[in-house]
Amino acid sequence: MWSIRNVTAGGLSTTIREEQAVAGCRRRRETAWDGVAWRDAVANHPDLLKAEKARSRRTLLGTLCAHTPVEIFHAFDIVPVRLWGAGADPGGADPLLQSFICPPVRQIMAMGLAGRYDFLDGLVHAYSCDAACGLFNIWRRNLHPKFAFQLSLPYMDTPEALAYAQVEFRRLIAALETLTDRAYEPERLRAAIGLYREARALLRRAYAHKRQDGGPSYADLYRLSLALQVFPVETVLPWLTAFDAAADGPAVAGDAGTTRLMISGSLCADEALFTEIAALGGNIVLDDTCIGYRTLLGEAAPEGDPLTALARHHLARPPCSARADFPARRAYFREQIEAFRVEAVVFIHQKFCDPHLADHPFLKTVLEERGIPSLQVELEGEGLTGQIRTRLEGFFEMIGKNRP
Amino acid sequence: MGEPMDAQKTTKRLKANTALREIIAEFYTDGHRAKAEGRPVGWIPPMNGLIELFYAMDIHPIFPENWAPVCAAIGTNRQNFAACAGHGYADDLCGYFRNNVGYALDGIDAPDQPLGGLPKPDFLISFGAGCIPTMKTFQVLCDHFDCPVIRADLPQVAMEDIGEHHLRYGVAQIKRLIAFLEDLTGRRLDLDRLSQAVAWTDEACRLWDEIMALRAAVPAPFSAAEIGIMFVMVTRHGTPIAVDFLRDVLAEVKERVARGVGVVPDERLRLFWDNIPLWYNMKLFNYFEKWNAVVVAETYTSAWTLRMDPAKPLESIAYKSLVSYPLVSCVSLEKRLELIRKAIREYRIDGAILHSNRSCKPISMGQLDIQRMLNDELGVPAVLFDGDHMDGDKFAFAPFQTRIDAFIEMLLERRASAHAPNP
Ligand code: SF4
Ligand code: SF4
Repeated sequence: MWSIRNVTAGGLSTTIREEQAVAGCRRRRETAWDGVAWRDAVANHPDLLKAEKARSRRTLLGTLCAHTPVEIFHAFDIVPVRLWGAGADPGGADPLLQSFICPPVRQIMAMGLAGRYDFLDGLVHAYSCDAACGLFNIWRRNLHPKFAFQLSLPYMDTPEALAYAQVEFRRLIAALETLTDRAYEPERLRAAIGLYREARALLRRAYAHKRQDGGPSYADLYRLSLALQVFPVETVLPWLTAFDAAADGPAVAGDAGTTRLMISGSLCADEALFTEIAALGGNIVLDDTCIGYRTLLGEAAPEGDPLTALARHHLARPPCSARADFPARRAYFREQIEAFRVEAVVFIHQKFCDPHLADHPFLKTVLEERGIPSLQVELEGEGLTGQIRTRLEGFFEMIGKNRP
Repeated sequence: MGEPMDAQKTTKRLKANTALREIIAEFYTDGHRAKAEGRPVGWIPPMNGLIELFYAMDIHPIFPENWAPVCAAIGTNRQNFAACAGHGYADDLCGYFRNNVGYALDGIDAPDQPLGGLPKPDFLISFGAGCIPTMKTFQVLCDHFDCPVIRADLPQVAMEDIGEHHLRYGVAQIKRLIAFLEDLTGRRLDLDRLSQAVAWTDEACRLWDEIMALRAAVPAPFSAAEIGIMFVMVTRHGTPIAVDFLRDVLAEVKERVARGVGVVPDERLRLFWDNIPLWYNMKLFNYFEKWNAVVVAETYTSAWTLRMDPAKPLESIAYKSLVSYPLVSCVSLEKRLELIRKAIREYRIDGAILHSNRSCKPISMGQLDIQRMLNDELGVPAVLFDGDHMDGDKFAFAPFQTRIDAFIEMLLERRASAHAPNP
């Protein structure tokens, strides 16, 4: 039913075309964030992306889930921009969403309604939770984006799932061909896979420093993860390379805290929380969130048909609360906690977030089995409140007392 | 719980309710009988094509989501909520989840349960379709009960986007499930029996549509208070029980329409209801009767507006599994709006009551769009009230009353001015 235009390699050999594609993708071009320090660029990314849109007319598409195949967008020279609400007032969404919908979804909608995302050409959703699905449909209906696409990816690793995922990707590709009026080129996808592999490997390395004592500050890891989700990969690569070169050196500030901590939840996007945790003696060495470490694991194979490689990569992705089952989450938790020598966990949950709230008692048990203390805080769209601060203080006090 | 109603109790209930009570009791008795006879019992989510498969393989299905309204009606929902909270689950999760998890983890072993309680599962499906709370309910069950589990996956796509590959993937999943069930029962699936089960479901859906269409009659032959007849659509698809019962309902409703018998003597307003009823307070539907207003159509009852093809049983059950949830939730917002537009016209609706259901995000999301569409596009007033389909503590009667009273008065005024002779 869906067709993908048949693109042949023409007179050039695949290798040459590929090299050209890679070179094309990496090409330095002028952007609105030239000369902006990377931390500032991340903090101001909506404004910079808006300026870039005005400057270059580049296609920018909003994405709602970490499982969106960003490589495919890159192959069409589209910038995928992850949306997460960025601290907006959720009340702005009142005309369209009830108050019992999770804050990030209300915040994204509020920003959309306020025109803060007007620079986007459309919205893409890879089916995750009910709230995100509703947001996608309500956004589409009310903001009339030029492009709106929902992918429904499988999450079981079976041969049928592999075949199915590839058709879903082809469906997306066909839609992007129409949007951009350019043909799909496997070489460009392979090149994009290569660039993201490189970027994710560098960022994993940055996280790996946290396995030891020391390493960079978590706030920086968080900002870099975010950078990779809101800026073109070729922009982020030099930042990552420079960060990697300095990672263990004196130029990189680490966290002073002594309690090795993991944060877990959907969207923990409030830097004030990280600062507070660090001030109380926590050293965030790992996250289990939708915009952090999980997005860096697994790799699409660089060789073979790129679409198959990408589909395989998606089937093997680490389990998230919205789509995975308990056994998968249990195994993942145990594995990471061991690898990063996690001593305590802070669950940072968004109020009304069904996937994470439903997983919480179960994951708590997994931690209790290993004697790892945990705390749950719930965000209501206001970031770090006095109440959350008090709870964090109590938690660290308790840990301190229980230390041998 | 909400306040008691001061409206008169309706005396116009369908006679079919007597038969329905027996069907409900028999369904649960049969579950215990199955257990005693060694027929497997499988717990499954509702509104998918697995029920036909179960009946074709002599497996007794249990639907936790159908059990929850039973608990709400009887009042054991509160103790189940408390049990669920005791296990650390948040109060903001869907009432079905809280009831069913609380019941499965604690309540199931308590004595004196309604309808004899639920027989424990002999196997479970950890599936990836439908809403998050249902998916998570089954994950909790799989973790809790010591029984074989099969993991399954299903695409979540808007109805209008369903393509051949979605169906193909659905069929592949169903084939895996069949292999699992054959292994479990030691018996092979008889495809002819499956076709027969699919044919019964198709006939039940056809009858359902015919019954619902009769509600377009003025006066309406029955109201939303009779929603309980849906029980057979959830639990007895794939069997002649649903078909026989619905035939009787159809005959009774036809006869009422022919005699011009309505729910209220002098029907003045026809209302539409969006979202799940308040299962612990079904009398709420009678509240409108004091103005001679009747709820004649709902979004919830359209989940079975689908047809199946007995010649293609596997594709049919895959299709049913793919469309049932999107049809009533925000997965297919545009389809849902289309469905409501159609209902408003066909049932000659004067006003719509939208239950903003704190428990159910997927059905509640998009209601503000529905409200605007009704007001702006169709000129049909719509009012939204805050409630919860399972938890009476999250529904306050007084604000409901204030809001609904003003709404109905407004509808009556509109009606009066529309019917007033020109000066
Ligand atoms: S995962 Fe949770 S926080 Fe994220 S969109 Fe879904 S419900 Fe909201
Ligand atoms: S009521 Fe809504 S949230 Fe609850 S189980 Fe049903 S569809 Fe899911």
